[in-house]
Amino acid sequence: MTETRPQSQAETRSPVLYVVLGVVVVLVLGAATRFLEKNVPAWFEGDVAKAIEYPVYAIVLGLIGNAVLTATGWRERLEGGFRTEFFIKTGLVLLGASINLKVIVTAAGPAIIQGILLITSVFLFTWWLAGRLGLDDKLRALLSAAVSICGVSAAIAAAGAVQARKEQLAYTASLVIAFALPSIFLVPWLASVFGLTDEVAGAWIGGNIDTTAAVTAAGALVSEDALAVASIVKVTQNALIGIVVIALTAWFAFRVERTPGAKAPGVGEFWTRFPKFVLGFVAASVIATWYLGTVSSAEGKEVIAVANDLRVWFLILAFVSIGLEFKVGSLREAGWRPVAVFASAAVLNLVLALGLALLLFSGFTVT
Amino acid sequence: MFSMKCMTEPPTRQESRTQFNEDWAATVIGLVLLVLVIVGVIPPGLIP
Repeated sequence: MTETRPQSQAETRSPVLYVVLGVVVVLVLGAATRFLEKNVPAWFEGDVAKAIEYPVYAIVLGLIGNAVLTATGWRERLEGGFRTEFFIKTGLVLLGASINLKVIVTAAGPAIIQGILLITSVFLFTWWLAGRLGLDDKLRALLSAAVSICGVSAAIAAAGAVQARKEQLAYTASLVIAFALPSIFLVPWLASVFGLTDEVAGAWIGGNIDTTAAVTAAGALVSEDALAVASIVKVTQNALIGIVVIALTAWFAFRVERTPGAKAPGVGEFWTRFPKFVLGFVAASVIATWYLGTVSSAEGKEVIAVANDLRVWFLILAFVSIGLEFKVGSLREAGWRPVAVFASAAVLNLVLALGLALLLFSGFTVT
Repeated sequence: MFSMKCMTEPPTRQESRTQFNEDWAATVIGLVLLVLVIVGVIPPGLIP
């Protein structure tokens, strides 16, 4: 029976085929999301059906697909095709085309200040609390980077810097997604309860929610303007990964592991760790801003709308992949301490990010 | 404790490399798609 074959053997036999099949699953669920988004409001009368946006359909379909594939033993074989990071980053590059370069330049200042203050305070708090609760130093580094910067991407970067174990990375990634999924719905709802402007709500979402895909989903649930600000704030945090990773590499080499003859990381290490899609996001904004200056307003809007349709497709594929990738198994194995650390840091992040968003983005407008 | 059961697994350099290759792939594909839209190869109405 193929269902009982170990994962490593299955992957060795035909990894490319499984990756392609995984991508096909994501595409089919993405197409179903688009179908539901367009047709559900026509099937059901009332505001609730109209209010449900594509991130909700995509994540729910992803979770259902996850349950079905897990029950049939296919999920682990196909997970090579669930490329959340690739889909979300391509979607964010395309999102750059709908944001005027002036908005990025204007928002960059407050976004950098917010990023530095949030990352420093939340990282140090998480590191301290995890130490008090007796967690392994490498797991402390992964949890601190994940909750303070940008979730799974930061955890992967930090894992490379401190040479963490695979289980530690898988566990941290599961924690990130377990906390991010409810945040997608909770934070936009709280922003509405508090009566925040779209820009402040976007800055709160971008500063608080850990993983980039979840930030985009929550921003899209609020509005296009909130999505623009949330993306700029999150992309700025992504850009700061390199600095944190350099600090972690040096800290583990000189203080934790005391490697003899270890060299201090330099500019090359920063460039290796720098998330290159940030350059694509800015380049897309530069190209679109230049293009819109050379054609009529009507023609420009029609063309950028096509780029926006492509962007929505990539975001849908990313949200479907979030649902498909979610694992609860590794969460059960680690005990309550890492969960307590992550939850405490998430609450601090929520409160601090709200304060900084109100302080730095109250007078900011996208249009 | 979590850290005790992780001692035999290899470290995570490979994931780190894959991650950053995806960065370049996303950048190139996103920008190529944008250029194709602007030059009219992907016209309005084509994307479902």
